[in-house]
Amino acid sequence: MNHLILYFAAIIILLVSLSTSDSNSDLVSELLNLQSQSEAGVIHLNDQLVSRFLTSTKTPRPYSILIFFDAHQLHNKPELHLQELRNEFSLVASSFIANNVDNPSSRGKLFFCYLEFKESQSSFALFAVNSLPHIRLVGPDAKSLKDDSVQMEQGDFARMAESMADFVQSRTKLTVGPIHHPPLLSKKQIGLIVVVILIWIPFMAKKIFAGETLLHDRKIWLLGSVFVYFFSVSGAMHNIIRKMPMFLADRNDPNKLVFFYQGSGMQLGAEGFAVGFLYTIVGLLLALMTHGLVRVKSVSIQRWVMIVSLLISFWAVNKVIYLDNWKTGYGVHGFWPSSWN
Amino acid sequence: MAAAAKAGEATLRHAFGNVLSFFILLLIGVLAFSIRLFSVIKYESVIHEFDPYFNYRVTQFLTKNGIYDFWNWFDDRTWYPLGRVIGGTVYPGLTLTAGTIWWLLNSLNIPLSVETVCVFTAPIFSAFASWATYLLTKEVKGAGAGLTAAALLAMVPSYISRSVAGSYDNEAVAIFALIITFYLYIKTLNTGSLFYATLNAIAYFYMVCSWGGYTFIINLIPMHVLLCIVTGRYSSRLYIAYAPLVVLGTLLAALVPVVGFNAVMTSEHFASFLVFIILHVVALVYYIKGILSPKMFKVAVTLVVSVGLVVCCAVIAILVALVASSPTKGWSGRSLSLLDPTYASKYIPIIASVSEHQPPTWPSYFMDINVLAFLVPAGIIACFLPLSDASSFVVLYIVTSVYFSGVMVRLMLVFAPAACIMSGIALSQAFDVFTRSIKFQLLRILGFSEADAGDGSSANVVPENDAVKVDKSEETIKERPSRKNKKKEKEQMEKAQAEKTSAKSKTEKRLLVLPMELSVIGLLLLVFMGAFYVVHCVWAAAEAYSAPSIVLTSYTHEGLHVFDDFREAYAWLRHNTEVDDKVASWWDYGYQTTAMANRTVIVDNNTWNNTHIATVGTAMSSPEKAAWEIFNSLDVKYVLVVFGGLVGYPSDDINKFLWMVRIGGGVFPHIKEPDYLRDGQYRIDSQATPTMLNCLMYKLSYYRFVETDGKGFDRVRRTEIGKKYFKLTHFEEVRQS
Repeated sequence: MNHLILYFAAIIILLVSLSTSDSNSDLVSELLNLQSQSEAGVIHLNDQLVSRFLTSTKTPRPYSILIFFDAHQLHNKPELHLQELRNEFSLVASSFIANNVDNPSSRGKLFFCYLEFKESQSSFALFAVNSLPHIRLVGPDAKSLKDDSVQMEQGDFARMAESMADFVQSRTKLTVGPIHHPPLLSKKQIGLIVVVILIWIPFMAKKIFAGETLLHDRKIWLLGSVFVYFFSVSGAMHNIIRKMPMFLADRNDPNKLVFFYQGSGMQLGAEGFAVGFLYTIVGLLLALMTHGLVRVKSVSIQRWVMIVSLLISFWAVNKVIYLDNWKTGYGVHGFWPSSWN
Repeated sequence: MAAAAKAGEATLRHAFGNVLSFFILLLIGVLAFSIRLFSVIKYESVIHEFDPYFNYRVTQFLTKNGIYDFWNWFDDRTWYPLGRVIGGTVYPGLTLTAGTIWWLLNSLNIPLSVETVCVFTAPIFSAFASWATYLLTKEVKGAGAGLTAAALLAMVPSYISRSVAGSYDNEAVAIFALIITFYLYIKTLNTGSLFYATLNAIAYFYMVCSWGGYTFIINLIPMHVLLCIVTGRYSSRLYIAYAPLVVLGTLLAALVPVVGFNAVMTSEHFASFLVFIILHVVALVYYIKGILSPKMFKVAVTLVVSVGLVVCCAVIAILVALVASSPTKGWSGRSLSLLDPTYASKYIPIIASVSEHQPPTWPSYFMDINVLAFLVPAGIIACFLPLSDASSFVVLYIVTSVYFSGVMVRLMLVFAPAACIMSGIALSQAFDVFTRSIKFQLLRILGFSEADAGDGSSANVVPENDAVKVDKSEETIKERPSRKNKKKEKEQMEKAQAEKTSAKSKTEKRLLVLPMELSVIGLLLLVFMGAFYVVHCVWAAAEAYSAPSIVLTSYTHEGLHVFDDFREAYAWLRHNTEVDDKVASWWDYGYQTTAMANRTVIVDNNTWNNTHIATVGTAMSSPEKAAWEIFNSLDVKYVLVVFGGLVGYPSDDINKFLWMVRIGGGVFPHIKEPDYLRDGQYRIDSQATPTMLNCLMYKLSYYRFVETDGKGFDRVRRTEIGKKYFKLTHFEEVRQS
């Protein structure tokens, strides 16, 4: 009798495990199917699919799912970078699929999906997502979608596709491999540009010999060099290399924007341009006074322009010193005898 | 009579001005030298940081064994077991300079030690650099601007940071070489003299000997030549300034072992050859234009242009093929990251990891060039009014260098001289205008009559002012080549031109004034700005840039603490270990160990072999047993780690540890960065990963650390350490200092 019960129990367990593994592989193949149909390999989820692949399945699931929470009506808000991030997300997805073509076992372990706010509001609630951009990884063992899944931090998508891939790699132990960026120009475009340049060269050469190009206009050179100076001292290269945003939203008060970042070694875009402008304006005003204003005949114009430019210069220099002090704690002191203090 | 008296007066003024300039320059030299002595006064006369120790060791070898042994020196004290060929892999300029100074002093019976000479080489060359700046700026915009620029350069913080007494590094002499090369180029361009062209090639040779940054020169000068050609400013002077430089300079550069055939093989130099060809084509065109009638010339142009284009295309094709055949397209990683700023951060972690290769933010500019940042745009504009060959070169120099400095904070050093030149021009012109306005109107007020233009006492003043001016223009004419008859005509025309302009300026100059009271205010503001600059520079020299980083100080409420642990540790190694023992440490301490402890190291700051560095990184990030095996295979007897958690010294090995993991993992894939991070965060407290807590670096750093305060509180990381009580199994502690 005992033996029989044990026997039955063993069979039942075997069946159950078989059926679950069977349904698991079904799910995977279904997901793979969905993936092949969707654009760039990012599956469009909705409430039904979420419940089918995530909530109603038993853990551990054989796959992880990385979900991008999207809202179409917010695409026109540039400060959220939703569209940009969405593109980067698809880049990671397509790169993952392309790099793991020969490796079906790891290809079936991670799926890239997105949820649209308008049609899947209950799923948004399920994940307790109330702000965007938001990317979440649901691991194989996650039971409660809200608590067990991992949110991708702001820092993880700061460097776009590469850092998203790093995040995925560190959490899932799957390799994403190199990101395949689309080439900047397609081959046809490059060919076209080469042809245009070839046609243009003789005309250009003729103009150069005649000496009547933009290159001979000194104002262009002057403007160009002052602009390069402005561009460099404003630290714009830093912003480009580090991909710094123009400004940040205040953490305490989301309606407020932060334009100036306290602490050296980092700066925001708007901040750099503001100070670069201050750096440049003083020199320009000084040049205006020494080269332009002296030629003006009217004394009262001279007087007013000088007053204004001196005031602005004074203010600009003071402002930069003040900002530097605020940002880096910079403070010089004269080396007076100590008895003077 | 009156004319003779006036001429005499002018010569007197001229002579007086020259003497005054000489003394001002002398004082500027003294200023440049003495502002860099803070490090010696505040600390002591020691060599600073890391690289200078290597240079010091090489100089010692040179003075002891002579130049031939130096040239053939194979160093077995470093990169064990590989060793390093020193003679062929260093830029010898600095070493030879200091060696020569030492030899000279000793043959004059002035017995200075090699170390003293090395410590003071940088300040001496800063004085030279400011004089060179004077010469360069004088060529561009006259003596007044030159003096101002020299004074500014003498104390520009960016340059001070690399040339305080004791920082015995290549840049110390290289900036001087850079400026003098530019000066000689401009001088040749202005005079067309072959003598200066030869000097220019020699100065370029000195620059190549001194610093890898010479590629900046060999790209900037061709750019300027090309610019001149394109904007229709070709002249025989341009040819003389450029062609000898390329031919002689390239030949000389190839003599430096570290450059060798790179001078003709790498893409950094190709621009100069391309421009060399273009220059010859253009010269030919001008020559043919001179001997043919206009009609014939048109026919010839089509011929020459088509032939020239074919030749050019062929050459370009060859160049492209050459470039494409090399893996990095012939450019070194550092140069590439200048052209494409995002290159390094994407592909080369070892370049991206160095803090001086980071792009600067705006406060860096304020720190490094201070108020000059405000004045530069005025200088740029002044250079365009009027635009000459010389001033266009300076504009090109500032535009390229400011862009490069925006990509890499280290290149601020190249930008600083350009900023000084520009600000010098701007300041001197502003002073000129303001003082002129005050002077004339003051004279008028002081009862030198309301006299209208042209008569009375105010006329007396104006010619006086103009006398100097005419004198100057005569001087510049004299400098031009007067040896050829052909030139005579041109000269006469130029003279007429100069007279015309001076006459023009005579009439104009009297009108070119600003309201007096505002000029006074403007002048005062400029003076305040200058005063602020001086205070800032002195502060930067004294507080920010003088720390030798081999001796550390910290201020607490109890007073000043001096940590001399580095030298103590090296001295211990020197006196307590066998001569042939091998010491393993992270590469930062390699140069110091060989120079101060005279022991063999595995890796050092010359990071030429990534695999070797990765081996050490792997050993440091492995558990004790594995690390012991690695170190044993390298015959290492001692491991040196630097730990600052007790005294709060932030740049210790624990903080550098992630780079060891990264570089190690780059070659040995079993070291994975995420194993050392908890949720992407680097921590050493109880949350740290087991891999982290068991690696050699952690164990060596925190061994018996808990005995110091009972809790094991790390003052750098501001946390209690994760694993407090453990024993070392394969290593033993021999010394902590």
